[in-house]
Amino acid sequence: MSIQNLQTFDPFADANKGADDDVQDGLVHIRIQQRNGRKTLTTVQGLSSDYDLKKIVRACKKEFACNGTVIEHPEYGEVLQLQGDQRENICQWLTKAGLAKPDQLKVHGF
Amino acid sequence: MAEDEAIFDPTLKKKKKKKKTAFDIDSVLAESTGENDNSNQGINTEVENKDDDQDDANIEIDLDFSKKKKKKKKPFNLEELDGALPDVKEDTTNETNQNQDDTVLDDNLDIELDFSKTKKKKKKKKDLDELIGEAEEKQEDKENVEDNSVTWQGSDRDYTYDELLTRVFEIMRDKNPDMVAGKKQKFVMRPPQVVRIGTKKTSFANFTEICKMLHRQPKHLLDFLLAELGTSGSVDGNSQLIIKGRFQQKQIENVLRRYIKEYVTCHTCRSPDTILQKDTRLFFLQCETCGSRCSVASIKSGFQAVTSKRAAIRAKTA
Ligand SMILES: [Zn+2]
Repeated sequence: MSIQNLQTFDPFADANKGADDDVQDGLVHIRIQQRNGRKTLTTVQGLSSDYDLKKIVRACKKEFACNGTVIEHPEYGEVLQLQGDQRENICQWLTKAGLAKPDQLKVHGF
Repeated sequence: MAEDEAIFDPTLKKKKKKKKTAFDIDSVLAESTGENDNSNQGINTEVENKDDDQDDANIEIDLDFSKKKKKKKKPFNLEELDGALPDVKEDTTNETNQNQDDTVLDDNLDIELDFSKTKKKKKKKKDLDELIGEAEEKQEDKENVEDNSVTWQGSDRDYTYDELLTRVFEIMRDKNPDMVAGKKQKFVMRPPQVVRIGTKKTSFANFTEICKMLHRQPKHLLDFLLAELGTSGSVDGNSQLIIKGRFQQKQIENVLRRYIKEYVTCHTCRSPDTILQKDTRLFFLQCETCGSRCSVASIKSGFQAVTSKRAAIRAKTA
């Protein structure tokens, strides 16, 4: 029998990561955008900057057989950008690789 | 929660409060002594207290105080009298066990009586107020629920969270037969009329109509749609929404469903009878049915990739 309310919890435990940490709300936003014709783009925003996004994009490109890039954004930090609708793929991959939990993933779009 | 409690009957309230305080005191004590066995026993007795009559409850409270004192003594014993500790422990556990044994018999009876009482009341009310057929249906439901809710009765084990939850909901339904919360209320929506315009644009023809149905500002729904779809668009003179990009009715429907889930239906009771208010930069969803009020996620379009021709952008900015 343990009482969660009475356990000590340091609210500033993750504050030393720095203000430039792009994980604003702890969520990984996965979005889709239409381009011309049937083409689409998938963006992944909010991955922790502790991870090497370049390595992630390299692995994803190979895994999903699509092109992709990392974009440095002044407000949102490093954003992963993949060609095509890779929302399902990236969700599965991120959970399988243990980079994000399923409840941290927020998939937008239609 | 405070308003939820307001709906409850006063008797129920009392019980609940008693339960709460009992839990707190006991579990805090258990924490301080660091003995799991005792806390379990304490809770068992407390459960039985809750269903007791007033007189019995008073006696129980007295017992509680005595227990408390004993438990408080323990830490000192731990520090000072290592040798004497086992004896003290045994004594207290025996005593609590005895208490339990005494109360268990009475309380089981009490609990059963209580349930039968509520059942009878229920039946009478139903027969008076409603049609017989309906009442029979409800009774069947109730019996099913009851089977679930008293599964821990008579056994020594701790009840699970789910069991407590079904129990409290059952009591709520018993006391407030006309409450919307427990019942499934279908929220019927008209499907969005989505038509392609040319090759690059989509028209959402009944956009303003749907806004009216949802009682939401068109701008709010517009912001959400455009942020989710990662595109741009506007409402034209015929009050239809023109969105850049090709979208099918099903896709728009999906986004609408997410909008309704987040910004229209109450997060507590799922009633669609809600008001969206802006309060110091945050949106709050106020429920008209259950009175709950909670903040909802702000609409952020987030990162937008460049999808138009870069040459065109350069030409524009230069
Ligand atoms: Zn509500």
